[in-house]
Amino acid sequence: MTIKTDYEKPIPLKNQDNHPYWDAADQHELKLQKCTACRSFIHPPGPACPSCGSPETEWELLGSNISATVYSYVVSYRPFLPGFQHDLPTIITVASLDAAPEVKLMANIINCDAEDVEIGMPLQMTWVDITEDRALPQWIPAKK
Amino acid sequence: MATYSNQCAIVGVGENKRSRKSGTTPLHMALTAARNALADAGLEANDLDGIMNYSTGADSCPSHELATFLGCHPKYVKDVSGGGSSTELLIADAVALIEAGMLNTVLIYRSMNGSSGHQVGRGYDPNMLQEMLSGGSFLMPYGTASPTQWFGMFATRHMQQTGITKKHLGHVCISFYEHAQRNPDAFLHGKPLDMETYLATPDISSPFNIHDCCVELDEANAIIVTSAANAKNCKSKPVFIAGMAPRTTHSNTHYWTQVDEVAADYAAAELYRSAGVKPEDIQVAAIYDCFSWVVLRQLESYGFAKRGEVGDFVADGNLKMGGLLPSNTAGGMLSEGYTHGMNNVLELVRQLRHDYKGTDRQVKNCELGIATGWAGPDMAGAMILRN
Ligand SMILES: [Zn+2]
Repeated sequence: MTIKTDYEKPIPLKNQDNHPYWDAADQHELKLQKCTACRSFIHPPGPACPSCGSPETEWELLGSNISATVYSYVVSYRPFLPGFQHDLPTIITVASLDAAPEVKLMANIINCDAEDVEIGMPLQMTWVDITEDRALPQWIPAKK
Repeated sequence: MATYSNQCAIVGVGENKRSRKSGTTPLHMALTAARNALADAGLEANDLDGIMNYSTGADSCPSHELATFLGCHPKYVKDVSGGGSSTELLIADAVALIEAGMLNTVLIYRSMNGSSGHQVGRGYDPNMLQEMLSGGSFLMPYGTASPTQWFGMFATRHMQQTGITKKHLGHVCISFYEHAQRNPDAFLHGKPLDMETYLATPDISSPFNIHDCCVELDEANAIIVTSAANAKNCKSKPVFIAGMAPRTTHSNTHYWTQVDEVAADYAAAELYRSAGVKPEDIQVAAIYDCFSWVVLRQLESYGFAKRGEVGDFVADGNLKMGGLLPSNTAGGMLSEGYTHGMNNVLELVRQLRHDYKGTDRQVKNCELGIATGWAGPDMAGAMILRN
């Protein structure tokens, strides 16, 4: 008898533009794309800078100690994708990074009651190992 | 100074019966809608020299195919990928081609089995979605695949910042459901809504429950645009295109960097300038309503209520018949049916022609109306029509 350990939810697909982000996530680190010309962060990563159009970009490692605040959120009571039926309600947020407030990172807020979420709430990034070699950045409420 | 200045008119509107399960194809439904619009205008298929439509993916039928089975040979066909605000965009394209002397009479349609066929935002493969959507791999792993969630993210912040409450969203729903009760063709005719029921309905994705979301149906709509000179030969009373903001874009929704601004904020200035009118001149409205909150946000964008006062504006009954801005008077997409915005435009045309004269469905003395389109916070289009 085998124990079913398959991860049912979608796994982030790495592609030409985003793979440094997800490669760093697998190492439990945050790495963001940055425009070489105007120095803006680019998130989600892309083929050029949405602020100035420059195709010259680089990557900046922000490390493993990432704090943020809730910029906006929704509490989702229905599963729209496989796997989420086990995880309702799902709290989804876009959080504003303390180190670069213009950057908003989407993730679930885990280990948190839906009623406790509010805009401005402090968060800490954590990484959930979803397969043997992949990890997903998530948010947990920051200790006050 | 006005660029549009009433040089073109909508002379025909028509639809195919709306249902949850049409049992037929988008081509069949589009043909019915087109024939009804032609009959409304008193035109023959051979009078059309342009046909255009929009679809999301392959959920419609191509215009060339529609032309074939209408038995006509238009010199120009166009199919675009779109959604909300595409009605306004294609009408603007038709006006430009007519103004340039390229075309005389253009039929624009939207046909979709939006309930029994391909539903917007549902039934996709998650990996395909990750590749298809910009930034998709930053959405799907978090369970974010539904417009209710994407729009909810914008709504939550806007509501928190302006003091809009769940009850204010309810006033939008209740106003439109009230209109649907006077419209026998509305899908939710016979299903009125009160605040108690609304507030007791559990959320799908906060802040939206089922009543805050449009009714996805099988339906087709068609609109015929021609020059003001040609309009004189039509059977119907022409409704003139007084001004337009065809399509205005803002940064991609899924970048999330700035959710406080929406494309409608930018479309509004161009719209009023092109028509040479002010928000207070408008007497009837078709406000894009894929979700209740979208109505509130657009009322703010298009200058019908100040930021922070939009909730009071709708709570005071201003969207209802007899209010300052009777809106979505056939029930809107929240309760009449959803064809990505076109059905609301059909209703606006009928109000401005005074088709409902002598009944409780007619907005009294309306001469000037607004139609707003919204394809997510990142794209908006709008037009001002007058009789
Ligand atoms: Zn740049």
